[in-house]
Amino acid sequence: MYSNTDLPIRPEMRESHQVVWGQIGKTGSYWSGRDRVSIVHEARASLECALCLQRKDALSPNAVSGDHDSPTDLASPVVDLIHRIRTDPARFTKSVFEDFCSSHSIGQYVELISVVACSVVVDTFHASLGLELPALAEGDATEPRGEEPALVEDAGAWLPLAQHEQSRTDLGFRRVPNILRAMGSVPSAVTLFFTCFRHHYSMMGVPLDLAQSQTEFIASRVSALNQCFY
Amino acid sequence: MLRASSQGEGFDANLQAVVQADLDSGTKNSQLLRQLTECTIEMRWDDLAEYREEAVKQLRAQGAVDALAVASGFNGITRVADATGIPIDHYEDELGRQIRQSTGIDAFDYEAKSARYG
Repeated sequence: MYSNTDLPIRPEMRESHQVVWGQIGKTGSYWSGRDRVSIVHEARASLECALCLQRKDALSPNAVSGDHDSPTDLASPVVDLIHRIRTDPARFTKSVFEDFCSSHSIGQYVELISVVACSVVVDTFHASLGLELPALAEGDATEPRGEEPALVEDAGAWLPLAQHEQSRTDLGFRRVPNILRAMGSVPSAVTLFFTCFRHHYSMMGVPLDLAQSQTEFIASRVSALNQCFY
Repeated sequence: MLRASSQGEGFDANLQAVVQADLDSGTKNSQLLRQLTECTIEMRWDDLAEYREEAVKQLRAQGAVDALAVASGFNGITRVADATGIPIDHYEDELGRQIRQSTGIDAFDYEAKSARYG
């Protein structure tokens, strides 16, 4: 990964992305490795999906129905969720979450979001550097076996958040923000995403050749472009 | 965070510049960082190639890569936030209150979003 560029990719970022890419191909708690790889392929395909393009132009994404252009054998609710979160996060609403969780578990939901978010980070970074997107291995076909119930609590989100004292404290935040608690129902999903993300932000021990205000300006601008208040 | 970090660097960032393209945030290289970020998030890769070259000149290669890394990372983490409906972290200090007012975050409401889009 990142072998064909002269630009200085930080070794720790290169390594963490490689780790995450390998982990995606392994069976997780709620999806097989094969499914997780398919989730990434689906996220990529969504960017060219005719239905998603029509929905982007509509006043509401729910005003347009139809079938997604899908290159995988994932079930249609799964495909729809992936395409929505990849292509139109600003208009992602609680009803989408509730619809999905009427037929799937919160564990499946959280792990899927983590995998999609990792693919967004890795693919966006590659493309921004002018690099080809990294290939994925086929993925492990072993069936997922779930994981121990996490200590969570109702804290006003759509889903239960990790209890404060269960949240990771090694990422350099002065206080534990809700974003760290968001995927707390599935600790392995938290680990996967923040292994991917941690070198993208000037947290404790993560050097960047930018002033903190420059980092915060970029982060804030991304949030505004994606219409994410958080 | 932007306001706090800018004050730590000896100036007051204009938070409105985050949502208004014609304003200068006061951050060094603000316009270039804006262009890099917008091209990245809007997937305008051909345009980005030009700004990336300029960024290498102005920020040096590591600074340019780091800027793209921040944009890429937040392109992912915003999706985690949007997909989980997490509430805003209400840090009950004066700075937090001012920021929520000046950016309009206090007016944000998930239910209004649902009512609008379904």
